[in-house]
Amino acid sequence: MKEPTNMKGSTSMKGATIKALGPWLRLMGERRARLMFGALLMLATLLFAIGLLTLSGWFITATALTGMTLAAGGAATIDVFTPGSGIRFFAVGRTAARYAERLYNHDTVLRLLADIRGRTFAGLSRLSGRELARYRAGEWLNRLTADIDALDNLYLRLLAPPLVGLLAVLVVSGILALAMPALGGVLLAIMLPLWVIVTLGMAVAGRGPSARRVETLERLRVRALEHLQGLAELRTFGVLGAHRARVEREQRTLLDDQRRLGRRTALGNALVTLTVQGAAVAILCLALLAFAAGKLSAPVASMLPLAVLALNEGLAMLPGAFVQLGATRTAAARLNAEAAPASDEGEGSLADEAEGSLASAESPSITFEAVTLRYPGMGTTPALEDVNLHVAAGERLTVLGPSGSGKSSLAQLVVRAFDPDTGSVQLAGKDLCSLASQALRSRLAYLTQHTELFHASLRDNLHLGLPVDHDLEEAAVESALWQALWIVDLDDWARELPHGLETWVGEAGRQLSGGQARRVALARVILRDAPLVLLDEPLAGLDAATAAMVAERLDTWLDGRTVLMFAHRRDALPRCDRALVL
Amino acid sequence: MSRSQAQTSARASRQWLAAQSREVRGWLSLAIAAGVIGGLATLAQLGLMAWLISAVVVHDTALVMLWPYAVALAGAVIVRGLAQWLQETSGMEAGLRVKADVRAQVLDQLAALGPVHLAERHSAGSTAQLVDQVEALEGYIARYVPQATLAVVLPLIFLGVAFSLDWLAASFFLIAAPLIPLFMALIGMGAQRLNEQQFQAMTRLAGHFLDRVRGLTTLQMFGRTRQATEEVTAVADDYRRRNMKTLRVAFLSSAVLEFFASVSIAVIAIYIGFGLLGYIQFGPADQLTLFSGLFLLFMAPDFFQPLRLLAQHYHDRASALGAAEGLRTLLSQTPPQGPRMESLDSELDDTLPLRARLTDVSVAHAGRGRVLGPLDLDIADGEVVALVGPSGTGKSTLLQVLAGFVDAEAGEVALRTETRVAWLDQRPFLMQGTLAENLRLVAPDANDDRLREALSAAQLGDLLSALPEGLDTSLGERGLGLSGGQASRLALARVFLSDAPLVLLDEPTASLDPDSEQRVIEGLTQLAAQGRTLVIATHHPAVMGMADRVLRLEAGQLHAHEVPASSEALS
Repeated sequence: MKEPTNMKGSTSMKGATIKALGPWLRLMGERRARLMFGALLMLATLLFAIGLLTLSGWFITATALTGMTLAAGGAATIDVFTPGSGIRFFAVGRTAARYAERLYNHDTVLRLLADIRGRTFAGLSRLSGRELARYRAGEWLNRLTADIDALDNLYLRLLAPPLVGLLAVLVVSGILALAMPALGGVLLAIMLPLWVIVTLGMAVAGRGPSARRVETLERLRVRALEHLQGLAELRTFGVLGAHRARVEREQRTLLDDQRRLGRRTALGNALVTLTVQGAAVAILCLALLAFAAGKLSAPVASMLPLAVLALNEGLAMLPGAFVQLGATRTAAARLNAEAAPASDEGEGSLADEAEGSLASAESPSITFEAVTLRYPGMGTTPALEDVNLHVAAGERLTVLGPSGSGKSSLAQLVVRAFDPDTGSVQLAGKDLCSLASQALRSRLAYLTQHTELFHASLRDNLHLGLPVDHDLEEAAVESALWQALWIVDLDDWARELPHGLETWVGEAGRQLSGGQARRVALARVILRDAPLVLLDEPLAGLDAATAAMVAERLDTWLDGRTVLMFAHRRDALPRCDRALVL
Repeated sequence: MSRSQAQTSARASRQWLAAQSREVRGWLSLAIAAGVIGGLATLAQLGLMAWLISAVVVHDTALVMLWPYAVALAGAVIVRGLAQWLQETSGMEAGLRVKADVRAQVLDQLAALGPVHLAERHSAGSTAQLVDQVEALEGYIARYVPQATLAVVLPLIFLGVAFSLDWLAASFFLIAAPLIPLFMALIGMGAQRLNEQQFQAMTRLAGHFLDRVRGLTTLQMFGRTRQATEEVTAVADDYRRRNMKTLRVAFLSSAVLEFFASVSIAVIAIYIGFGLLGYIQFGPADQLTLFSGLFLLFMAPDFFQPLRLLAQHYHDRASALGAAEGLRTLLSQTPPQGPRMESLDSELDDTLPLRARLTDVSVAHAGRGRVLGPLDLDIADGEVVALVGPSGTGKSTLLQVLAGFVDAEAGEVALRTETRVAWLDQRPFLMQGTLAENLRLVAPDANDDRLREALSAAQLGDLLSALPEGLDTSLGERGLGLSGGQASRLALARVFLSDAPLVLLDEPTASLDPDSEQRVIEGLTQLAAQGRTLVIATHHPAVMGMADRVLRLEAGQLHAHEVPASSEALS
């Protein structure tokens, strides 16, 4: 796993940010029209608010002056209806625009969230067995979730608001400039630096702690998960407290960074208030001077500061959003390294240009020719060296050997989780590399050493095993399912479960005993009904009586298939034609 | 859940949250005080602005003559900024403190509940509870709670000032104001229920995604990645639909507020305008001046601002209530009591002293019925007991009862006074950190030599000498880089380091090759030689071979003792 790049150099920050967020911005670009419309709604809301206050200020001053003239016995007229209906229009428009904006934009964000999850998963599903093995640690999984979550507010917090805020500053400056060009200039001179400070400035101020916050939150997750998974051992040994100190240390770091970020956000928010209100006061004074000099009318002079005050709404959220930019960037950079959004879904792991397929449904033969395999990070010692092996069609071979002797590596090569460094593996005389992995995997069933059940119902877990494009009717599926359960001797057990096949199987099958989980995995492999079967320690964790019964039933089922079995001892395995000791 | 139950539980959650915020009263008061000062400064600023306009426009005073007012105006703006900073930082401090406090409570509770209660939940879900649900409390404490007071106090102050200027205009504020809390309460009730559902959906979403990524290799093998990708998108999309339902309602509350704020501004502007023109012949309208008119208009948005902020923070409240529901449920669960500690002195002097005694014990699991018992069992001090029997017949449960993770439904479990327990199961606990750190968890003061001794007693001496970094070698989570057998033996080394007299082992040799298994058994034999009591659930004849007593469990019942199966082990 890559460490996030160190962020000490400040000049490279912008480039790095764009590089990290680039793929995700492109993904969002697919919903360009939605995003633009959402930003327009935001701008409309703000402009309605500015219009409401400004027009009201103008109206009151104008009517006051007219009133005074009338009271003094002078003649004056004022059209009260146009401004009146304008005020009503802005009032209702603001409400409607605000509601529509929030609803529309949150819908967009959640759509983006689904996009991001789907694409990330598709990206991950293209990782090879090698990479997945490297990534299997829980740390990575949790971080992945957190990183994806961090991207969800990219649009609503970091993309649209600064743009809308800037546009609002320009629009208000424009209004001021129409009344008196110098006022527009003054406002721009005050507000543009503020805009830069609350966006880029806050991003710089927050990048250290916010990037660290992501990491700490993730470490806290890891420690929390450790704490929960190790509860049995930690508790019985009476050392929960010692591990808890680690959890709490992470929490302290997290809270300290949150405090730093909170203080900086508060500073940014106070700065927005000071600057916007200060600018309103400055514009007020300048406008009054201009009025005294006869350059501005009184209603216009009193309406201009109101327009400035309304800018507060457009800028108030920016410091809080940008102080967290570092966090979003870090998350994006990590996701890029692991699961850049895939443009379309692919099946399998290795580069898959091969089109070859296996013609018949007959059991294939397997040949290893001078195969050498090295795992990355395992030094120079190869996992397999110059292996030559032939398994005839329909033959059953058992590979025996202690753990670490390369049994699982042989299986991994057959299913193309890895490709050999040198040599070749052939199926029915065809080099595996020439076969489409889809075609290959539809023909084989592989029981991995590590039992992997999903957090889903027993039925759903079993259904995974069914051939992908099976055209079986429901009744046929049902009977295949029970037949498989019978072979692994779980049929009676499943019938007696209060919820039957709908029983929820816990995380990694924790609600089941180790042996039951193993047998469910075996049943899943049986359901595939493939001509080539690989079984890695098929009966591990079963008691002798069950193991013997399952072995016997399995023996019949295996008839006519090409079978590779891997085990560290010979006993309680289905009959085999030949055994090989590694 | 029925409606009244839901209400009761919502009330309990609110009370729980209130109790948490009482712990940080000081900081919250400071935040509120700062908020009030900020409001007063705002009032001063707006009044002075209206005054300046009126003085210059109506009374033709030169602006330079008014400089003291301008200075005061600048002062008010500065006070406003400072007060805002103080309010935010004090609120945040309160939020951070509550999070630390609640997390401590949750950790305490998880420790008390033990692993069996947790196995019924998805461990990602429990982690989310400890991490994310606690995080969800911050916004409520830091922002919502102070704002809830300010949203009452500040509008009242503004209202008072407005009344002194023009009671009729002020009453326009007043007409809108009482409606707002009413609407918000109505909307809030619905939003909260939806929010709870949304919280569950979020936990499911996280759990689902994690689970499918964890099983990616299997999905690839079965050629199901495309289907799983579609499923992931579909679940995320379902999450969106649920979320939008919540948001449609949640945003309605802010829309109502927005509507009243906008309409009030409009009505006040039009009333003042017509009043100033002399069109309104009743009430105080003829007293209106440019100053009072502008001041009222300036005040209008800020009158509603505290309420608008409250509405913005309303989802903080909803999230916190959702989190509180889960946290409260967790914190209110009764932890298992564990075995009783007794002297267990035998009345007859000629028998061995007992380490543990189970009398008429039975255990039931929700959804699985009775899984163990009723059974009686005496375990002597220093004895090695092997539990055998088909999988799922209660071997693990028996160990869990002895460890105190599960309480017996009936009967009595007793351990000899001051019996500490060591535990080892098929999923050895490995912490991110070095080999030494993993060992020192159990014995913080052990020196390197003791660690080496323990490792070699657990048959890991070879591994240690092969590691260039020795005890400082880093281990990934779940022992990345260690094989299953090595991880088991590392856990065994921890048992050696601890001085626990009772050692409970759940299938310590499952999925080990014969060589590793033999090494683990040698380790266990050494443990027994130290005089420790071992209770081992196992399938392996070799393990049964080293036991003093082999007990067979079938359908939760103990069966007649078997002869140690040493002859079988040789076959």
